Order: sequence, then C-alpha cells, then structure tokens
Amino acid sequence: MRVPPTLRTPVGLASGILLALLAILAVFAPILWGSQADAIDTDALLQGSSAEHLLGTDALGRDIYYRVLVATRLTLGLALLATIVGVLTGLVLGSLPSVLPRWAGRLVTSAVNIAVAFPGLLLALFFAVIFGTGTVGAVLAIAFAITPSFARLTQTLTASVSGRDFIAAARVCGVGRFRLLVRHVLPNIAEPLVINATLAAGSALTAFAGLSFLGIGVQAPSYDWGRLLGEGLNRIYLSPAPALGPAVAVVLAGLAFNLFGEAAASAAGRRQVARQRPEPASTVESASGEGLLTVRNLRVSFPGAQGWVTPVRGVSFTVGQGEMIGVVGESGSGKSLTALAVSRLVERPGVVTADRLEFAGKPLSKTTQRELGTSLAMVFQDPMTSFNPTRRIGRQLAEVSEVHQGMSRKAAFERVVDRLRAVRIPSAERRAKQYPHEFSGGMRQRAMIAMGLMGEPRLVIADEPTTALDVTVQREVLRLLARVREERSAAVLLISHDITVVAQTCDRVLVMYAGRVVEELPTAELFTSARHPYTTALLAAVPDLETDRDAPLAVIPGRPPEPGEIGAGCPFAPRCPVADERCRTEEPELKVIGDRHEVACWQEELVGGVR
Amino acid sequence: MSELRFEHVSLQYGSLRAVDDVSLTVPSGQVVGLVGESGSGKSSLAATAVGLVPPTSGQVLVDGADIQRMRPRERGLQMVFQDPYSSLDPRMSIGESIAEAMPRGTGKRAEVARLLELVNLDPSRAGSLPARLSGGQRQRVALARALAGRPKVIIADEITSALDVSVQGAVLNLVRDLQRQLGLSMLFISHNLAVVRYVSDRIAVMKDGKLVEEGTAEQVLESPQHSYTRELLAAAPSRHTSLWEDAS
Repeated sequence: MRVPPTLRTPVGLASGILLALLAILAVFAPILWGSQADAIDTDALLQGSSAEHLLGTDALGRDIYYRVLVATRLTLGLALLATIVGVLTGLVLGSLPSVLPRWAGRLVTSAVNIAVAFPGLLLALFFAVIFGTGTVGAVLAIAFAITPSFARLTQTLTASVSGRDFIAAARVCGVGRFRLLVRHVLPNIAEPLVINATLAAGSALTAFAGLSFLGIGVQAPSYDWGRLLGEGLNRIYLSPAPALGPAVAVVLAGLAFNLFGEAAASAAGRRQVARQRPEPASTVESASGEGLLTVRNLRVSFPGAQGWVTPVRGVSFTVGQGEMIGVVGESGSGKSLTALAVSRLVERPGVVTADRLEFAGKPLSKTTQRELGTSLAMVFQDPMTSFNPTRRIGRQLAEVSEVHQGMSRKAAFERVVDRLRAVRIPSAERRAKQYPHEFSGGMRQRAMIAMGLMGEPRLVIADEPTTALDVTVQREVLRLLARVREERSAAVLLISHDITVVAQTCDRVLVMYAGRVVEELPTAELFTSARHPYTTALLAAVPDLETDRDAPLAVIPGRPPEPGEIGAGCPFAPRCPVADERCRTEEPELKVIGDRHEVACWQEELVGGVR
Repeated sequence: MSELRFEHVSLQYGSLRAVDDVSLTVPSGQVVGLVGESGSGKSSLAATAVGLVPPTSGQVLVDGADIQRMRPRERGLQMVFQDPYSSLDPRMSIGESIAEAMPRGTGKRAEVARLLELVNLDPSRAGSLPARLSGGQRQRVALARALAGRPKVIIADEITSALDVSVQGAVLNLVRDLQRQLGLSMLFISHNLAVVRYVSDRIAVMKDGKLVEEGTAEQVLESPQHSYTRELLAAAPSRHTSLWEDAS
C-alpha cells in the first residue's frame, strides 16, 4: 500500500493518528459513555481528581472525564460545520468576481477586502452578538469570521491561474465563464484550498471553545470543551483537573488540525531528500594546466525521487587563453549545469565531482571567492532576473569592484561609467543612475556584460545570453562578446541551443547530449565534417534562410532522455538512424578522429558531413 | 475556406499603443507569417483576432463578419499558444481538453481519436494527463484542440519557440501538412524569420505596433522595401555569414 506523502513525516504521521483517534472518539464516545456522562450523582458534587472520577465531577456530580470524551462529538462537529460553512461561503465570494460582470465583481472584491481588515475573533464576537447567543449563532459567527480570508485566498489563487494560457485557450474555444471556473480554475487551486481549510478547522475549533467559554457559544444542557473549561475554571485553585482536562483536549485537537495542515502543505511543496550522497572522492586535482580552464570528467548530481540523478555525466574539455568556445545542446543536455559547476554556482543539494577542475592553472576549489569574482564573469539568459530590481544599475556594478578590488565608492563609480561605455551604452553616466526596469532587454544584457568586465575577466561564461532577445539585439550582444574577447583577450564560453549562433561566433563547438560531450570540433568544419549523427541531425533540423521550402524539414524522431532514463548504451541510440546492437549496449567514449576533432560514436565512419 | 481581415485595428493599453492602425488580410487557404521583435504588438494583434481582447478601434472580420458580434464558437477562429506547458490544463486529460473545444453534438470519443491520429499521436493516449507528455507532444495536442473547434482560421502564436530544435522541425512539418491537407487559413506569428519563411505564403513585418511591410514571401525576403525588414534579414543568424558582415 502506498503511504500518502503527508503521512511520511513524523509530524504528519503523529497528527494524522491524533485526528483519526479524535474522529473515532467523536463517533463512539457518546454511544459508549453517554449515560455515564449524564449520570447525576448528588453524593459527589464538585469533587477533585480521584480514582473514581479521573477529572473530578461538576456541580451536579457528573463525571467530567466522561463528559470531556462525550463532548468530542459536539466540539468537533460544530467546528467542522463552521469551517465548512465558512469555506464554502468564502469560495463562492472569492470566485464570484470571475463569473460576474466586471463592476459587480469589483464590488464583491472590495467588500471582501474590507472584511479581511477586521480581526477574525472580533468579527466572530460581532456576529455572535447579532445572531444571538446559542449554537447556531456561534457557528455562523465563526463561519463568517473565516469567510473573508478564504474569499481573499480564492481570489488570489484564481487570479494566478486565470493568467495562464490554458484559460485563454478555453475562452477561445468558447467555454463559458461558469464552466471555466468549475472545470479549469477550481481543480487547479484545490490543493492549497484544502490545506488552508484544514488549518482553518483548527482555528475554528479553538475559536469555538473560546465563544463557549465566554458563555456565548454552546448553551446548557448541551456542552462542549469550551463550556466544560468555563465551568471548571471557577474552581481551578481548588481542583485544577476539571479545567485542565477540557483545556488539554482543546489544545491537542487544535494542534492536530494545525500540524496536519502544515504537514500537508509541506508535502505539497515537497523536497525529496535522498540519503546516500554520491562519492565526491575522485577530486584528484593535480595542477598541470595547459589551458585557462581544464575540465576532466565533471559530474553533477542531484537527489531525486528515486535516488540520485546525474544530469552531467563525465564532461571533459579545455578552454584555451582567449578562445571562444560554444556549447550546444537541447534543454536537459546538461550544458547550463556544466557552466554553473565551472563557476561554482551549483548549490546544495547538488554535488559536483571532477577528476580535474582547474581555472588559470589552479584547482577551482582552491580559488578564492575574490579571485573568482574578478577573473570569471557570468552572463545569464534573463538579465531581468539577474539584476536586483530595487537598486540602481550603477550601484550593482560598483559593488563588484568595492567588494572584490577594495575600491572606494567614487573610484568604483568611475569604473562603472567606463565599463558601461565599453559595452556601448549611450550616456553611460546617466544610465548608471537608472534602475534595471528603465533598461531595455538588450541594454540590460549589455549591462550584465559590463558587470562581468568590472574585474579583469579571463573567462566570460555566457549562458544563453541572447535567447530572450530579438535577432537585431542578439547580433549586437554577440558582437559585444566577440569584442570583449578581442580587446581583453578573455576566453568566452558561449552556451546556446542555437547551433547557427554558435557556428557564427565561436572557434570550437562542444555538442552535448544527455549529460555528455558527444562531439567536439572546430566551427569551421561544423558544416562539412561533423561526424556524430546527433550533430548532423541537429544541423539538418534547424531551418535557416536557405532551407528548401518545398521539402519537409529533417526531423529527429523521439525525444532526449531524462537524466533518470539513461541506460547502458549510447543515449542517442533510440533516435539514431545508424544505431546497431553495440550502440544499444555499450556507451561510446570520446575519441580523436582528426585535428582537434573528437567524437563519441561507434558508427562515426558511416556518417559523412552534411551538405 | 475563409479569410481573416484586420481593418484599421488599434489596441491601446493605458498610454501604450500596442497595435497601431493595422490592416492585414489572411487570404483563404494561405499562411501569413507575422514577424517582429518582442513588444512589436504581434501577440496583441493575435489576442484581438481571437476575441481575447476587444480592439480599441477597428474591426476583425472573418469572411466579412465582425467577430465582436459573434459568440466564440461561431467565429471559426482557434489559437495555438506559445508555451505548451501552460496552454493545457494540468488537471484534465488530453482527450477531455480536445473534446471541450468541439462543437456540441459531435461524437466525441471517435473525433478525439481521429484528431490525435491526425497530429501523429497514439489515440490510446487520450486518457493521459499533459504531465506525461513531452513538449513537442503537448504542442501537437494543442494543435489537435485547435482543430477540434472546426476552425476556418488558425492563429499560431510563437508555437515553436518553447520547443527544442530537434522537436521544432516535426511540429513545423505537421503544421504545413495540416494546413495544406485541410486548406486552413493561418496567421503564423514568430520572431524567427527562418521559421516564418519556411511555413508562410505571405509575410508581414511589425514594428512598434505598426505594420511596416507586407507581401508574398518572395517579395519580402528577396527585395525588402522597409529598412527594418532589411535589418531583420541581415541580423538573422545564418551559417553562411559571419557575425560581422551583413547578409544583404
């Protein structure tokens, strides 16, 4: 039997068991002990705890222990009833704005917003007075106290789902507003709603106990925990047990609901924790660098649901001084992770291991943060998210020099202006005082490169730097990178999914597939002598401005494997037109087949260059 | 067989004029490719075409009838979105998603199977949730859903830009086959000139909300009139030009 994820944590399990016990008590206690709880014993009035009466007796000599047990049903029942009424009302109010005409929706939203501003308990007391003292009044009071926050939550969640394309798609198909809500919106927000309802049940329970305690909840002869607590409290200094019993019950039940809700919430946003970490042992970093960056057998692993997955499986390459290297591959090929590992940005729980990982002749693990900060620059795909939106561009760039080079504020700012000019940002001085949102996408990406130039970078790692940009801007950014390399003789590692971009800009190409380099060759030979079937297929599959419009595009059947799916053979074999038995059982290693040309394929001799 | 026509369509968001007096015709049974930078108003134009946003001024006509006066199902317009990971309801099986778009009174099960077959997916997968499908497969499902509404015109908004290059080709081939087979009229929006060139009969270029050039694919690509079109063509990455030279 599969255990639901909520019950896999100790907290979830304990609170789950507690809730189950409470439910059992609620069902059976009145049947089993109902008569004992109501039995009046005039010989034992107002007694303290004794062997006969565990929690003592009340003013009519009734046993409080049994009364607490029996009261479980009423207490839980009323709390749940109040929660259900409150949650349903909140759900209706919260989803009305998406069904009603706009003006009516606004009205509902504003009303809910005002109601949210009132504290829940105050609202409950207010309603309790309006609806009159008694069970019905208390249920409605608590229900309506829960309503506003639930309505607000529903509104917020609905709004976030409504922005997604599948809602627009359904609208284009002519799906009506009501059906849209019931079929598309509610199922997608159910999970957080249910979790919050569980938490609300916990607070409803305690709030109800509060109302009964104050005498405006359950009225005699009915009794719940709050009422029992109120009755027992008058003589707490004489005999504490009659008050403590129901108090403990309230606390336990409240805790059970709240903790269960918390456990469910964390299970919903669950992070799997695998036990065994892979061995980081083989870091034999012997310093004997021939290039600027030397990577040998780099592996990056992450804990997954079924043990560790390794999206980068033994990548080796060298970047020479002032060289421009392109890394191409599809999403999931491990190209970005390779870049992150090289810049020491893979965060726990990810684990990076390598036989050699050297930068400028020194093992990366021994390079100080300052050295790395000034000699290695990183440019990310989305410059909007890589700048802090609340700080001026100039300040963010200056920080690099202040922290890593110990510059004064003024000197750092001068350098910022100089570097912004270097990346051809017009009126750099004024621009430096602006915020990231005042920059266009291409401008931000240039500022990002300028940030990398604040130090004296020897290596610039650019991870899909132009993917979010338009072609005209893309060309400017690529030219800028090429210029940086020429003027400062910095090496560039350009990561891209677009093989044409790489072919235009780089000296050498690394083609990655399923976490490995499958081919490495000079770009000049890319179109004539690529030998790996994946490289040639990739070249044929990308349309450019010369593609024959009358012939179908070349396609690569299937899809790239997930890191967990990679078996023994060549990972490309299932999609490969020339794969044979050996390809399916044995993974090929990179072998040298020409000048600076390496390929990992058993069939490379069958594959000629394309076109 | 129908024609989609934008007549002096403008769309204003606050102080931003996202679409500025655009008149464009998608002739019956043809593919018009719409290119331009992000923020040029391509997607806003698409949103007015399928009625997601009413135009501030101007009209969108299908076979001469104003779509604002029709109910969504009567318009005969369908749209395929950019991101197949967000355009399918994660809680709905793909079969249900497709069936939802069908006109009432269609034999749903058989029709779903037929459509899945049409987009080269195994009909037995109708019960799967989108999470079990790859990006390319999801985009095929989105295409099948668009076809389920028996559209006369399909708007395809950047449908391959969220896909991996090895999958993009298959989706483009499929789009072309289906368009020819079913004689659909199509507005194909993309920032990728090479992709637009491959599927389109005519090409329109947008910049800053305005339509700057429109013509047959040959005209626009061979002898571009507007300076911006020339700039776009020059900047498109090509294997035969270096980074520094301009292609044109």
